Amino acid sequence: MRAKVVSAVMACLMASSLVACGSSSTETTAAGTSAAKESGGASSGKSIRLVNGKIEVDSQLKKLAEMYEKESGVHVEIESMGGGVDIQGELKAYYQSDNMPDIFVCGGAADFDNWDGLLQDMSDQAWTSDTEAAYKDGDSVIGFPYTTEAVGLAYNADILEKAGVDPKSITGPESMKKAFETLDSKKDELGLTAVIGYFAEPVNLYWSTGNHLFANYLDSGLARDDSTYIDMLNDGGKIDDNRFADFATMVELFNKYSDPQLLVSGTYDQQILNFASGKYAFVTQGSWIGATMTGDDAEAYKSAGNFKCGMIPYAFEEGIDTILTNSPSWWAVYKDGDVQDAEAFLQWLTTAPAQEVLVNEAGFISPYKSCTYVASDPFAATISDYTAAGKTSAWHWLNMKDGYAQNYTGQVFADFAAGSMDKDTFISTFKQVTASAYAG
Amino acid sequence: MVKKLTLSGILIRLVFFALAIYVLFPFFLVVINVFRTANDIVANPVSTAGMKFSNLSNNLKSVINNTNFSFWSAFGTSALVTFLSIALLALFGGMAAWVICRNKTKWSTFIYMVFIASMIIPFQVVMLPLISTFRDVGKFLGIGMLQTFHGIIFAYLGFGGAMTVFILTGFIKTVPFELEEAAAIDGCSPEGTYFKIILPLLKPPIVTVTILNGMWIWNDYLLPSLMLGHNGKVKTLPVAVQAFVGSYVKQWDLILTAAMLAIVPMIILFLFAQKQIMGGLVDGAIKS
Amino acid sequence: MKSLFQADNRVRDEHDNDSLTSGAQTIAHTGPFTDRAISLIPLIAGLAVTFAALILDFTGSKLSFRGGLLIAGVILFFIGLYLYPTKKHHRAIVNIIFLFPLLFCFVVTVIIPFGLGLFYSTTDWNGIRMTKFTGLGNYITMFKEQSFLWSLVLTVLFVIVNMVLVNVIGLSLAVLCTSKMKSVGFFRASFFIPNLIGGIVLGYIWQFIFNNVVLKWTFETFGYNSSMLSKYNTGFLAIIIVYIWQYAGYIMMIYITGLTTVPSDVIEASAIDGATAVQTFFRIKLPMIASTITVCTFLTLQSAFKQFDVNMALTNGTGSVTFLGQYLSNGTQMLALNIYNTAITKNNYSMGQAKAVLFFIILSIVSMLQVHISNKREVEM
Repeated sequence: MRAKVVSAVMACLMASSLVACGSSSTETTAAGTSAAKESGGASSGKSIRLVNGKIEVDSQLKKLAEMYEKESGVHVEIESMGGGVDIQGELKAYYQSDNMPDIFVCGGAADFDNWDGLLQDMSDQAWTSDTEAAYKDGDSVIGFPYTTEAVGLAYNADILEKAGVDPKSITGPESMKKAFETLDSKKDELGLTAVIGYFAEPVNLYWSTGNHLFANYLDSGLARDDSTYIDMLNDGGKIDDNRFADFATMVELFNKYSDPQLLVSGTYDQQILNFASGKYAFVTQGSWIGATMTGDDAEAYKSAGNFKCGMIPYAFEEGIDTILTNSPSWWAVYKDGDVQDAEAFLQWLTTAPAQEVLVNEAGFISPYKSCTYVASDPFAATISDYTAAGKTSAWHWLNMKDGYAQNYTGQVFADFAAGSMDKDTFISTFKQVTASAYAG
Repeated sequence: MVKKLTLSGILIRLVFFALAIYVLFPFFLVVINVFRTANDIVANPVSTAGMKFSNLSNNLKSVINNTNFSFWSAFGTSALVTFLSIALLALFGGMAAWVICRNKTKWSTFIYMVFIASMIIPFQVVMLPLISTFRDVGKFLGIGMLQTFHGIIFAYLGFGGAMTVFILTGFIKTVPFELEEAAAIDGCSPEGTYFKIILPLLKPPIVTVTILNGMWIWNDYLLPSLMLGHNGKVKTLPVAVQAFVGSYVKQWDLILTAAMLAIVPMIILFLFAQKQIMGGLVDGAIKS
Repeated sequence: MKSLFQADNRVRDEHDNDSLTSGAQTIAHTGPFTDRAISLIPLIAGLAVTFAALILDFTGSKLSFRGGLLIAGVILFFIGLYLYPTKKHHRAIVNIIFLFPLLFCFVVTVIIPFGLGLFYSTTDWNGIRMTKFTGLGNYITMFKEQSFLWSLVLTVLFVIVNMVLVNVIGLSLAVLCTSKMKSVGFFRASFFIPNLIGGIVLGYIWQFIFNNVVLKWTFETFGYNSSMLSKYNTGFLAIIIVYIWQYAGYIMMIYITGLTTVPSDVIEASAIDGATAVQTFFRIKLPMIASTITVCTFLTLQSAFKQFDVNMALTNGTGSVTFLGQYLSNGTQMLALNIYNTAITKNNYSMGQAKAVLFFIILSIVSMLQVHISNKREVEM
């Protein structure tokens, strides 16, 4: 019987160690990761988590998190997700599994609608009086703006000058076509692979066509508060025939003059590297590529002469004279998370030392009036010119239906680019797909 | 015979080599390209130009230090989860199989039938309620089942249970019952009989189930991606690879390096236990 | 739970070495009363702790140790149960303790979610809560969804193509690998290796091959600038190529096992009778491995049907196709991925669940068919 006693004691010991293991395994992993990231500084043990949608500024945000931890003792975990990731899908999964971050990225109405009633109203925060770009739902402020981005037809100013094409002369479809033809005829002497770097790859880069290019159909040339076309779209998926036909003509032009190796199955890296190397005169990307050109592709950009860049409106109709600028996305605070620390961190981000990192290192264009830093970004000057002249339109594509580009239109742009449909089929298919996207 | 072999033998050999190239080509590509830079790879993916050890070490460094991949932590997680799951499955599976096999009651037959029938259930049917059950029950009882080691091991015990019991039961049936009767006459308790007499005999089928479970758990993607999340603190290698690839816009030098890191442990293991692995997988397939 | 097993071993060890140990002698030789006390203490304590933990749960306590408390309570209870001095029921108690761990995990992870899943598929469940029953509503809507019908058609096509190709290739490889030749071992091993790699990882490796190697080749030779993965038909072909690559070696191994069971005297006899190698194969070997063929056929059928990882990593279901007069953007999306996207990406949990139940029904029919066929064969033999 002594055996039984001993075994009972043993079992108790082991059971308790198992329990301890079970409950501590989560803690140790949590401690492990935070300990690994802590680089000195007193930790108050508090920790908040931020889901960032811009993988390209991951390291800069981590630097900010470190600075903040030294200052306040609150650990900020930065979790970055990249362009190809369905971030809202991930967040939904987090919500399902009770693993919500305290701060996370939201890209527009559809995204914010996902979290209806779950977001903290930040209208009592000091920063709200310092910016126009906050995301508002009625009277409550639920989105923290952190940068401004512009969508326009980016060009290599040096090449255009060499070819004798004045970017200001491109004011409509005719002049755009003429400029493309001129450039195409001088391709060899200019060292160009193609006139324009445009792609319609549907798996990873649907956002470039389905969101950013299509955004021009919705907003180009319109006043910032003009929501004519987005309202039509959100009213059961209606498309304006004439405007869309003109837009399709421009896409057709891009298909024709783009680099065939890039057009259907290219990658973002390839596109930006080639543009930075001076192989394309135009590129269908927004202001965010400036950071890549001066960062990852700095070597190629330098050997191409650190050429000047600019943007022209996507003038698919005569008289379109605006580029689209907006906060591309906002950071929202989860109501059931650590609201106080999350809000304190966001407030801190608007202070000078944080803004300095955001502007000078992350290449952000600050939406805060009090910010005095100016980015050395190749596109910063263009954006401020357009803004000063009042020639900007908004990004109403942010209010498109969730998954519209990813699951529906990205593929149609790809088929048009691959040549498996002509312009008329493109238009009719686009309308059909849009109708079914909005029906479901 | 010898003459006949020469002509057909050459042909067969040619077919063999062609097939071997088809099978091994992807590995070859991975191996050469981890030594190269992204720009070289994009310029010409099938080339040995620009292969340098310094590139490999750069690639390895950027992959291993990448915070979205966190190789060592993912590798450790995968290893720990796989090891504990297969060990516990062998232990509990053997115990359960023995009880089911040696008790001819209505209950044990019923439990056995439920185990067998459940093998038809595809993961997709249970995955959504599983997550919600784990979330809700875990929250209620204060035992976190999602994003934890014990949670995912628990789930693997549940999902691997049926197959393990099935294969082990099939084997225990062939063990003569007289052995146990003799032990009982010698005064051996039932639990002693199992651990001292039956368990040592179960070695071959336990190797089989361990290999089957191990391969499945090590490579499994869907269950950990749902239970642990793509960017959670605890993540297994397949999930880490997916999170890493998804977060980059196709930097092939890094992706292929990550793929290599995920493959190498399996290949090494295979080289050491080739016979057991091939045999185990085949046995498992034939029996189930 | 693991500790219980170690404790068990310990018990036996102690038992064996009874005479050697000298400590705690006083407790060792006590009457049945103390025995019962020893078992009742953990038994009752276990129950008490379990109840305490449950009370904490029901009162909505946020104390983090209540989970550990519950586990400790349950383990204590089982220890008490194990130590309970009874000759009559000891066997039954051991049975319960042996069965409990695995059965408990199994019920919680498979049986309960399965039942809930069937139930949820008839509601408007959104992953968190449900508000009303929809009856068969989800099942009816599902068949009106062209993209789902396309996934269904595509999956059936994929299963059929692979069932044939994987088996033909696997069997041919097996025949080659059982021929008398040097270095057969090397080929066997190399054909088998792809099977060791998880679908996600190999999916990305092959994505690299299709998007870079093959694309570069088609562009330079034909000026064709679309990757195989960007069209639904070539994308589908790509998934088949990868699937065969991954799976044929495995099927080959099973066929090799089957072929080696064919008695060599039968083959020798046929050789003496003047049968050619081809005749021997089709007339003698093939009929003798019929049961292996059944096994392999259903194995590929089941696994092809459940294909998910490669599909996700390779194309993620993209590719456009016109089906039933409708332009669809999920040209290469098979059933398992469709279920996943419906629930997780499109946030329609009850619909995803209903599709999964249909998935289950199809698979059960296939399994029943398999059992039926192999039983019939056994009777014939």
